[in-house]
Amino acid sequence: MRVLKALAWSVVALAALAVGYVVFFDGIEAVLRWYFTVTNFTASKVPNFAHNLRLGAEVTIKLTVISSITGLILGLFAGIARLSKNPLFRWPAQFYVWVIRGTPLLVQILFAYNALPFLLEPLWKYLQPLGVPPIQDVLTPYWAAFIALSVNVGAYNAEVIRAGIQAIAKGQWEAAMSLGMRPFQVMRYIIVPQAIKIVVPPLVNNVIALLKDSSLASVITLLELVHQGQRMISITFRPVEVYIAVAAIYLILTTVLTFFTDWLERALARRGAAV
Amino acid sequence: MEAIIHMENVNKWFGSLHVLKDINLDVQKGEVVVVIGPSGSGKSTLIRTINRLEEIQKGRIVVDGIELNRDVRNIDAVRKEVGMVFQSFNLFPHMTVLENITLAPRIVRKWPREKAEQIAMELLERVDIADQAEKYPAQLSGGQQQRVAIARALAMQPKIMLFDEPTSALDPEMVGEVLDAMKELARSGMTMLVVTHEMGFAREVADRVIFMDMGEIIEEGEPDQVFSNPRHERTQAFLARILH
Ligand SMILES: Nc1ncnc2c1ncn2[C@@H]1O[C@H](COP(=O)(O)OP(=O)(O)O)[C@@H](O)[C@H]1O
Ligand SMILES: [Mg+2]
Repeated sequence: MRVLKALAWSVVALAALAVGYVVFFDGIEAVLRWYFTVTNFTASKVPNFAHNLRLGAEVTIKLTVISSITGLILGLFAGIARLSKNPLFRWPAQFYVWVIRGTPLLVQILFAYNALPFLLEPLWKYLQPLGVPPIQDVLTPYWAAFIALSVNVGAYNAEVIRAGIQAIAKGQWEAAMSLGMRPFQVMRYIIVPQAIKIVVPPLVNNVIALLKDSSLASVITLLELVHQGQRMISITFRPVEVYIAVAAIYLILTTVLTFFTDWLERALARRGAAV
Repeated sequence: MEAIIHMENVNKWFGSLHVLKDINLDVQKGEVVVVIGPSGSGKSTLIRTINRLEEIQKGRIVVDGIELNRDVRNIDAVRKEVGMVFQSFNLFPHMTVLENITLAPRIVRKWPREKAEQIAMELLERVDIADQAEKYPAQLSGGQQQRVAIARALAMQPKIMLFDEPTSALDPEMVGEVLDAMKELARSGMTMLVVTHEMGFAREVADRVIFMDMGEIIEEGEPDQVFSNPRHERTQAFLARILH
């Protein structure tokens, strides 16, 4: 019964999200059309310009969402592994965080797009006969950017999650263990629910940073928001109006995310009194 | 009669620091043992080895017939039988009083919610705070929190209860209510190992007092004998200090 109810709610929430998504981007496109009209862009080209920027914004948002989710999972594993007593888990996680945080994201994106295909080629020798498409078709700018951004934000998330878990007093572990709970149960019922309240704000900050940093993927020709803007400038030679539009869209997206975080923080605080 | 807690030549080091030295201790079923001793003498470490919050390097510990070794199943089995109350309460701050108490019975003992809640309410009644069941720990006084912690440990229906200075973090006016709950428990026949300097409690309900110093059991005996007539001079010196 409860499962059914949860399922029903998920369906409703997903539908609302899908509708909200379409309405939101239609709205952005409409505003862009109005904006390019009042700023005297060639009338016949306006619908096209507005639509292209909207598509760029959609690529940016989709890339951010899927990279955030993957990066959250990576960060969860790496953050917990960094706290493991077993060096077999701890050392690779430490190495991962060290490399990613110590190198520029731009290099990571270029690496994923230009170098990764070479590294994966030997593997593809075995995969291609199984019907897997050639590596160049798989590692498109979009998926290369996805890999680089996920791996990048995952390392930053790992640090947030490690710190969040460490912030929960040793006494909580001991009390739970003394009641006979297994380590997994302690994590699930005691540590994670408390850690969530600590880690959600910095994790969402990482998502906001990721949203902005995804613009770096324009260097590997991904047609996200910035690259669409640049294409438009090369046609119209109107950088002022176009960059203002691009920046405004980023600002709207990050503001929406900030509202969402504030709401989430309040919702989490409502569940359970202050520590 | 076989002891419910059997410790044999137990040795424990923290790095190079030898904190438990050849501890031999048998606690009988239903016995109440109070452990006293100066700060840093190893009292906490001693009782924490009994539910393996601390691992030992040498010796043997057998709890209710279960050998405490590396075997995780044995550790789990012992932890189900041994409840623990900490100086700093360690309640789960994100859960209500009732949730604090019912969690372990539900997920470790696999009791249905109704049974766990019914037993939790009985226990809250017993420690006299049934009216606080829906509150969060932060909304309670220290004395109330510690009584919830006692109820939480009892909800697992342990055979043994360990207390590590349960009243040291409390304001003086709240010490009594926690000690009352512990006395009631002692009279009900629970096996208890209690680190405390509450002489009144020890005299009233302890069957035996153990004095520890520098990782060793220096002296043990009935409360009156140890408090009024300590044999060892280190015990005398310690008692002289805390009685003033
Ligand atoms: N986790 C630990 N790591 C290192 N040393 C510890 C640890 N816990 C306790 N000790 C040391 O072990 C000794 C005994 O501590 P403890 O059992 O807490 O004493 P008591 O409870 O009698 O005050 C002390 O010297 C203390 O500093
Ligand atoms: Mg202590």
